[in-house]
Amino acid sequence: MFRAKTKDLRRTMSRRGLLLAGGSALLTSFLGARLFQLQVAQNNRYQRLSDRNQFDVRIVAPTRGRLFDRKMRLLAGNAESFELYVTPLYVDDLQQTLAALGQIIELTERDIKAVLLAARKGPSFRDIIVRNDLSQRELARLAVRSPLFGGVSFGKSLRRIYPQGALACHITGYVSPVTAREIERNQSLEKTPYLGTGKVGVEFAHEIYLRGLPGRERIEVNAKGQSIRVLRDVDAMSGKDLQLSIDVGVQLQAAEILRRGQLTPVELGSLQVQRALAKDSDLQAHIALGDNLILQDAKDRLVPPESGAVVVMDIHSGEVISLVSAPMFDPNLFTGTLLTRDWRRLNSHPRTPLLNRATSGQYAPGSTFKMVVGLAAIEAGVISKNTQFNCSGDMELGNATFHCWRKGGHGMMNIISALEQSCDVFIYKVALKTGIRKIKDMAHRLGLGDLTGIDLPGEKQGIIPSHEWKLASQGRVWTPGETVVSSIGQGYVLATPVQLAVMTARIANGKQAVTPRLVKSSGDAAPDFAPLDVDPYALAIIREGMFEVMNGGLGTARNYDLDKSLGGMAGKTGTVQVKRITKAQREEGIVNNIDRPWAERDHALFVAYAPVKRPRYAISVVVEHGGSGSSTAAPVARDILTQLMQKQG
Amino acid sequence: MTVFKILLRIPWHLLLLAGILALVGSLALYSASQGSWQPWAGRHAVRAIVGMALVVCIAFIDFSFIKRMSYVFLAAAILVLLAVMVVGTGLGVSRWISIGGMNFQPSEPAKLSVILALARYFSSQPHDRMRSFVWYLPAFAIIAVPFAMIVKQPDLGTALMLLFGGLVVVFSAGLPWRYVFGSLAAVLAAVPLLWLQLKVYQKARVMTFLNPETDVLGAGYQITQSKIALGSGGFFGKGFLMGSQSQLNYLPEKQTDFVFTMIGEEFGFAGNIFILLIYLLITIAILRISFRVNSRFAQLTCIGIGMMVFLYMFVNVAMVTGLLPVVGAPLPLISYGGTSMLTVFIGFGIVASAIVHDRRQS
Repeated sequence: MFRAKTKDLRRTMSRRGLLLAGGSALLTSFLGARLFQLQVAQNNRYQRLSDRNQFDVRIVAPTRGRLFDRKMRLLAGNAESFELYVTPLYVDDLQQTLAALGQIIELTERDIKAVLLAARKGPSFRDIIVRNDLSQRELARLAVRSPLFGGVSFGKSLRRIYPQGALACHITGYVSPVTAREIERNQSLEKTPYLGTGKVGVEFAHEIYLRGLPGRERIEVNAKGQSIRVLRDVDAMSGKDLQLSIDVGVQLQAAEILRRGQLTPVELGSLQVQRALAKDSDLQAHIALGDNLILQDAKDRLVPPESGAVVVMDIHSGEVISLVSAPMFDPNLFTGTLLTRDWRRLNSHPRTPLLNRATSGQYAPGSTFKMVVGLAAIEAGVISKNTQFNCSGDMELGNATFHCWRKGGHGMMNIISALEQSCDVFIYKVALKTGIRKIKDMAHRLGLGDLTGIDLPGEKQGIIPSHEWKLASQGRVWTPGETVVSSIGQGYVLATPVQLAVMTARIANGKQAVTPRLVKSSGDAAPDFAPLDVDPYALAIIREGMFEVMNGGLGTARNYDLDKSLGGMAGKTGTVQVKRITKAQREEGIVNNIDRPWAERDHALFVAYAPVKRPRYAISVVVEHGGSGSSTAAPVARDILTQLMQKQG
Repeated sequence: MTVFKILLRIPWHLLLLAGILALVGSLALYSASQGSWQPWAGRHAVRAIVGMALVVCIAFIDFSFIKRMSYVFLAAAILVLLAVMVVGTGLGVSRWISIGGMNFQPSEPAKLSVILALARYFSSQPHDRMRSFVWYLPAFAIIAVPFAMIVKQPDLGTALMLLFGGLVVVFSAGLPWRYVFGSLAAVLAAVPLLWLQLKVYQKARVMTFLNPETDVLGAGYQITQSKIALGSGGFFGKGFLMGSQSQLNYLPEKQTDFVFTMIGEEFGFAGNIFILLIYLLITIAILRISFRVNSRFAQLTCIGIGMMVFLYMFVNVAMVTGLLPVVGAPLPLISYGGTSMLTVFIGFGIVASAIVHDRRQS
């Protein structure tokens, strides 16, 4: 009995032991199956996850090429910029940390949302950029409190800077973050979203040259997000530096002279000025842009600086020495995140500072167009140097009367004296005999009505009207009266300041159809321009007329000649009506320019070349609503050329 | 019995299998420290050699002495556990006790003493008593006391291992099936109660286990990274020292609880299966010894030790493959850790002693 029970128990125990052995084998195969599932069946998936863990592929932004002026002074460079990063892995409460950071530095709701989104999407050990372009002040404040912020770190990168501030804004343009539209056009930009691209100016025109090629590196990161080693797959290729033809010194003078015009600067701090400022929204808009130049006109009214454009170019090489468009803006505003506040200020500004007037501002050239008519007429044999017409002060054509600017008329005029005194009636008569077709042809040869090809985006080509143009654009035939109006650069005729500079340069050069450019030519080799193909004899006559403008006893700009020691200059004034003068007004006597509202005043234009004997520079000046070409624009040109020539020694 | 006879009877195959595991462990630890014998691999190898020598030494100890001392061992284990509660060290827990500069984890040998005490208890009971549940109650008390003390440390993983190890002995002793199922039901019923007793981090572990992807970077981090490491290893692995997950520290605790994962990443499915087979062979070898020994005490002791090793391996592998929550169970003989290794080798020594000194063998 007892033995049987013992045997029984032994059997039970053996059975249980076998059961355990079997169970062990079963459990082991269960583990084996699980391992098969993970390591063989789902290997691909985990392999991918492992690679993602291991490598962080990063695009290495290339260093953008710098921009220099002709004397190698920096126009656009790259400065160290600091960014703030957060590593979610080391942050207890991301939302709270961001909120706390928002108390110290400027953080928008959008920034915070972007960080939270990135934190949800990516691995937690990866740094997320919270803010770029930290100011020194923000950096200092953060540094002091950094012990309070675990998982928050700083990064360093390059940021575009324009050390000249607003001075060369319309030349350099600016770089700003890639936009969605750019990515649409160029898919490869998508991978480099933080890369800035040129939006306007030379930055845009020479974008590819300046940008360089991004590199790619794989960073092996450990679980803490620390990089173990960096595998450079492709080295970034820096963009190339570009030397521009601009002379910053001349640019500075030109901008100042243009903006000041004939006005007198006032002391901003005085109570009286402050009181006046408070009432004037236009002036406030200027101040808001960081422009603290406020002036006083001849009637002691406070006014903002003059707006307009100046283009100075070398008549042989076509190099643009200075290109000013006023008002200006600070391109540094665009390099980081453009603040809505700044954008609003720039856009609501009454004088559109973002517009590059030198290449995109189209103005009626006024009397500066008379050279075109003169050249066309002489070349066509319609007049010679001595052909005379009488100016009685007006000219009847059909049932219309066309007036000369001078009420009593100029009397007997030839082409030289007509240019000297800017006689309208003489030019009317010559233009009618020459015909708009030949005038238009001459205008094109001098560079009007076509893009000059200057390396700035957004250039306008102006308008040189003709029969065909009017038929196509208005569906009506050309009338002789329109030839008359066009001959003095009004009516339909439009030209940009850079075109006027090109026109003047070609007249002064005489041999080559010079085109403007902003990049300094390497070496002394003169660029290959097309021949000008304008009768040299005709050119000589016109140049004589332009000389008389400055030197003749009745020259419209006789008071504003460049000092003879600097070689003097030859030029032409232009005063452009912005508002039609009605018959009634003419009979009542024209209201003085300065007594009209600013926007109704005449544009003041002036073109010139210097020195007279061996011309080197051509200049065009437009002072918007500046009054008369002689008294407002001519002195601007004279002063700028004085500075330029003196520098040349 | 002559020394020669004893040496002849020592289960050398068991030692060989253990040696293989220890070697694998050394290599894995060498890799875990980016290809260096410091700080783990060298010591692990030395300990393994010492451990194997210990097995041979214990084999010389008369098994009846071990039987006689088994209650003393239990009492000693409980005393040491008590001491840990008072002077224990550890990060916010008291699991370790320092003796002469060496850290010692008393919960490990406690498992062995529970197995021995249970075997002794059941071997001394008349057989007919084994049908009545009352006679099992002292056995449960033998398990419950150290279990409760280890839970208190708190070290739920080790405590559960002790519990299961003890229950396996009770089960092998012939606990009637009705009680087996009865207690299973009772345990299931107790789960909600147990849940309330868990520490916050313990609850988090369980929750993470149930759904690791919800918290990839917090508590689920370990298990997610472990699965990535294993899965990316593929069939033959990334190669020795080439496991990116481990070498770049994505894998936590790779020298202890997650060493299996690391081997899986570097040696793949093939390497892992090889290890599983060695464990299975060890388990079966010890169970086979349990069939061959005569005394009930020896039989139960062997089953308990064999299953203890197997359970450890199972829980560890199931844990790193995401089948069980992360409870903190080392992989016997491979994971770095002196006490755990020592315990396993002492266990093997006891098994060796059981077979060497068995009456039936002579």
